[in-house]
Amino acid sequence: MTIAVYSGEIPSTTFIERLISGLVEHGQQLILFGIRHGSNHYSNSVTVVGYRHNRFSKALHLLKFTLLLLLFKRDAKRRLDSFLKASDRYTLNDKVKCYPVLWHQPEIFHLQWAKGIADWAWVQEFGMRLVVSLRGAHINYSPVANTNLAEIYHQTFPKVDAFHAVSEAIAREAQKYGAAKDRIQVVYSGLDIPNSERLSKHASNSTVFRLLSVGRSHWKKGYVYALDACAILKENGFKFKYTIIGGSDSIELLYQVRDLDLEDYVDLLGQVPFDTVKAHMTDADLLLLPSVEEGIANVVLEAMSLGTLVLSTDCGGMTEVIVPGVNGFITPVRHVDQMADNILAISKLSESEKAVIRDVAHTTILKNHRTGLMVQNMLQIYKHATKE
Amino acid sequence: MQRKNKIGLVLSSPPGYSETFFRNKIRGLQEHGYEVVLFVENLDQIPDDLNCSIYAASNFNGGIVLKVMTFFGVLIRSFIFHPMRTMKLYQLDKADGVSITKRLKHIVLNAFILKHHVDWLHFGFGMLAVNRENVAQAMQAKMAVSFRGFDLYLSPLKHPNCYVNLFQKDVYYHVLSEEMKDDLTHYGIRDERIFVITPAIDVSFFKRPEALIKNSDHTLQIITVARLHWKKGLEYTLEALEILKKTGVTFHFTVVGTGSEYERLVFAAYQLDILEHITFIGKTSQKDIKTYLENSDIYLQYSIQEGFCNALLEAQSMGLLCISSDAEGLSENILHEETGWVVPKRQPKLLAQKIQEVQSLSDSQKATIRHKAVSRVQNQFNLERQVQAFLRLYQL
Repeated sequence: MTIAVYSGEIPSTTFIERLISGLVEHGQQLILFGIRHGSNHYSNSVTVVGYRHNRFSKALHLLKFTLLLLLFKRDAKRRLDSFLKASDRYTLNDKVKCYPVLWHQPEIFHLQWAKGIADWAWVQEFGMRLVVSLRGAHINYSPVANTNLAEIYHQTFPKVDAFHAVSEAIAREAQKYGAAKDRIQVVYSGLDIPNSERLSKHASNSTVFRLLSVGRSHWKKGYVYALDACAILKENGFKFKYTIIGGSDSIELLYQVRDLDLEDYVDLLGQVPFDTVKAHMTDADLLLLPSVEEGIANVVLEAMSLGTLVLSTDCGGMTEVIVPGVNGFITPVRHVDQMADNILAISKLSESEKAVIRDVAHTTILKNHRTGLMVQNMLQIYKHATKE
Repeated sequence: MQRKNKIGLVLSSPPGYSETFFRNKIRGLQEHGYEVVLFVENLDQIPDDLNCSIYAASNFNGGIVLKVMTFFGVLIRSFIFHPMRTMKLYQLDKADGVSITKRLKHIVLNAFILKHHVDWLHFGFGMLAVNRENVAQAMQAKMAVSFRGFDLYLSPLKHPNCYVNLFQKDVYYHVLSEEMKDDLTHYGIRDERIFVITPAIDVSFFKRPEALIKNSDHTLQIITVARLHWKKGLEYTLEALEILKKTGVTFHFTVVGTGSEYERLVFAAYQLDILEHITFIGKTSQKDIKTYLENSDIYLQYSIQEGFCNALLEAQSMGLLCISSDAEGLSENILHEETGWVVPKRQPKLLAQKIQEVQSLSDSQKATIRHKAVSRVQNQFNLERQVQAFLRLYQL
């Protein structure tokens, strides 16, 4: 079975790259299409059909696949061209994207970003099976704000061969746009956790409670709520330090920190290497996920695997990972008073209570969020799609 | 006869149709016999109704070769045709410790201004005066800088210490509120150098006969006119409306304006389960804004950061019951419990509570507030008053 994992960028995001390497380890032949950045680091099982983001590279790419199709798949090219013209997509950019896929014709075309579905509905006309991942913003809010996108989903989702949902919650959301329930399979994100890894958490010696959030400064991360909660904590005389890794470029957050007089309590850091993130996580007393929208936040899984306590909002699929009081803590989305109350309550837990929760959290990750499990479940989706 | 001043106004681009502040100011100055010229960084469109000369900065589009040629072309022309001013700018920058590369860049950046004669060089925004601190002196012109909320409160967060050099200079400052003046004095600016000139509106346009003012019987009509930007506090506004809904208040909220936060706000409304009670109008004309205001009961301006806010003046002038946050200039825009209500920012519960309190006022209590607000805006925030304030500045 040849599988195209398509995100449009080569390499892609961390979790898509994790899927790619997992599939390769399971002996799958993969094809990656799209714009290439950096050098090729993939194994021989991965065929990279990419171009650089410049006119010359695109022109060569287009010329190559136009000639191949004209010489060996003339009818197929004519059909694809007709489709592109009919959908008003007969542009050079569209041809650069589509011709290589038509030439290689993988059995499975796995589209990672649902927003692009209108560009790829044609693959089914040529015998390829279309698998679509249901992730975060693409399902949870973009179609709410963009009625045209919602209409595209309504037209295309019923025809998709199989869906990969990152959470039960997002699977339910996708059904609102016509995705058939029996074609959606929930596959949770997986982490690479060596069996030998032990929890490195020790009792904290710090005199202040160390809160940590990690993620880009996007509104969906809900940092404004976390900072409002910090203002409440400060008012209550609670001694804490809140670090947001990835928040330093946001004027909104910088202003809020100053406006709420939180300069001594909050550090906004820029992007840092993953090892530094892990070090911050290991040091933190609590990882806070104040998001208003998520599929399932990988940063929470990482923290749980490292033995750091997690307080997450109940957005998206987070309650599918965290059982409150058992392996972490949940706070209602957009409710700063309760967020502050929960932080205070967690800070008062005894070391033995914390240790139990950390152990259960670590077990949760080992049981439900390993790369191997994720890949096995993805392969099931592909097999199911090809059987139908 | 006394010669009238010539004002050079520095902007990033010519004021568009909806940028009433600069348009009204230019028109007002012209009506009082002043000559206004515009210096703009970008000239994509030339407005045909401003009746003033517009000079644009050199265009540095194109490849590296073209950029280098343009750079040295502008530099050499400036030294040949305006040697005194160019040298003066170079020396002033040098005295400020500016590196030689930056000194040359400053000449190229400002050559399109340097070659003209003006009595006043007035920078429309604080950030436009950065790297131009010595241009007015080199031209032997007086220098003024307008600070709006974004300039004073947000730009320095992104560009720390960006105004350090500016604040050393012999500059007159225009700010929108007493609070902004107070904040500016903390940077060491002398009181007499700062002019508070509040925004003003066309009070003859934004008014409605009292007979047309009525309180809605069933659905409370609430409105905000604002860019969809985080600083407008619309997410907090939506949270307050969620509370209203839960307490059984029937309302409809109209948001007039466009912006980058549309998706954020629609999702918030969806998540808070109030989307069906909200209409996002988008960008529309002044005439339509007036119609939307006429059909509304309560105006909300629950901003996180705000210099002063024209839209709130327009709503008051139209006789709406107005509730604002206490962000910067807003508590001068509205006199709490006299011409409207001021609620601490970032407190949606308090905002919801205030909306209910206002709704439950008697008709006569509402009328008293409306009258005071209309009267105050019509008398104190009209365009002529604003122009007179600018004239006083330019007569210094």
